[in-house]
Amino acid sequence: MPTRAPVIVMELPERLNHAGAKSFLNELEPLLQNDHPSVVLDCSQIQHMDSAGVEMLLYCLEQAMKRDGDLKLAAVSPASAVIMELMRVDRLFEVFATSDEAVRSFQLVAPAASLQTQPWYAPAHGLTNLKAAS
Amino acid sequence: MFVGLGAVVTIGVRNQELSQDRTGLAELPAIGQEPFLDVPLECVEVVGRSLLERMIERFVAIGLERVSILVEAKAFQRIPKFRTAYANVTVKVVRDLYPAVTQELANYSQDGIGHSFISSANAYAETDLLDLFCFHREARQAATRAFDKEGPLNLWVVDCAKAQRGDVESFLNDAGRDGAPKYFIRDYVNRLTHLRDLRRFAADILRRSCETGPSGKQVRPGVWMDERAEVHRRARIVAPAFIGCASKVKADALITRLSNIERDCCVDGGTVVEDSSILANTTVGICLDLCHAVARGNKLWNLERNVTVEIVDPSVMRFSSAPRRAAELSSERIAAPEATAALPKTQMPETWQFNSNLIQE
Repeated sequence: MPTRAPVIVMELPERLNHAGAKSFLNELEPLLQNDHPSVVLDCSQIQHMDSAGVEMLLYCLEQAMKRDGDLKLAAVSPASAVIMELMRVDRLFEVFATSDEAVRSFQLVAPAASLQTQPWYAPAHGLTNLKAAS
Repeated sequence: MFVGLGAVVTIGVRNQELSQDRTGLAELPAIGQEPFLDVPLECVEVVGRSLLERMIERFVAIGLERVSILVEAKAFQRIPKFRTAYANVTVKVVRDLYPAVTQELANYSQDGIGHSFISSANAYAETDLLDLFCFHREARQAATRAFDKEGPLNLWVVDCAKAQRGDVESFLNDAGRDGAPKYFIRDYVNRLTHLRDLRRFAADILRRSCETGPSGKQVRPGVWMDERAEVHRRARIVAPAFIGCASKVKADALITRLSNIERDCCVDGGTVVEDSSILANTTVGICLDLCHAVARGNKLWNLERNVTVEIVDPSVMRFSSAPRRAAELSSERIAAPEATAALPKTQMPETWQFNSNLIQE
């Protein structure tokens, strides 16, 4: 059975501005260098977020995706959600009510089951039937 | 002119100031100690004109002899701004509202004005005011209060002489109680107590759900543009929408779903404004999504999440600095019309037309 790296849960600082984002990134970046990094960022403590904070989140997501991992957000406050919506980044992240839910979401998808071995247009996807119908 | 009939419009700290009914106190969002707005809600321009101005328009339209606006100094230090200067409208900044109302009614009485409307500026009702007056006369009572399906409104007709006999506060509050005839309004009413009401008012105006309409010209069905508004040819405005005086909508911006951009605003390239009100003197940066919100300067109130956020980055949202001086001066238009006449007018190229000219950087 394939194994996955453990899910990393980190709490974002109260102030996610340039300085806050930089120091947080120093802590998180080494963890993003692993294969398939699974990261949950707990946003419950955030009181203030600016574009530097949003940029840092995007950078972390990009790094995680480069190594076939993912970064999810948990406990996003309404104010943070508004800022992320305004900057059009909200749709890039999976968002969960709690960190536990976010961690569980990583475990729900077993890698073997998610592997797609057949092309998307294979009969299993129902396209043959569509063609027959037309 | 309707001789013998006047109106007193009040702007108080609380919009229920004229009544003991405190259920609808203004609950404006705030960030820390700083309020979202620095003016009363009724003085905020919505689709080109403030609710106060729209109410004054209604009073002037029926030809009242005199209209007095009493602004409580605690609520607003400046004189509210109007697009039109009315000859028979006076504005006074007063220390206390009730003594000022009593004094104003005494002045009316002395000048031969027998009856007066009294209204809080935030209680906007599109009722037939003369019908309300006739009802009051027929009911033969000292004061008649208007009601709608949600309860009492801060709109009365009073007998100026009788109003001075006692405490004006209790005089107004007693109207419509103990089986006294009430005047019911079935037309459009907006009690402006929250930014939510402001947003609803903007949407109702654009939807034409009320009699009062947008300012400016309708450049195509459902799209209104005020003087000197500029829209880039690659910007898209989906009706109904309003672009206010001297506002700019830059390339690839999208204004949609009952959105209103008030005066001296700038919506930068690629930004989407959906179901939102951008209040005067606000600049919104590039490639943003502003949805279900009321924005003013660097503050944003989201309707869906009911949360106010302050944006620190000036590149994202900020006050448009240059036109603020002009806006401040225009707020003195009633008191000193000659001062506004001296204002240098921004010269815009005459070739500017909706959807046909590029914005020159």
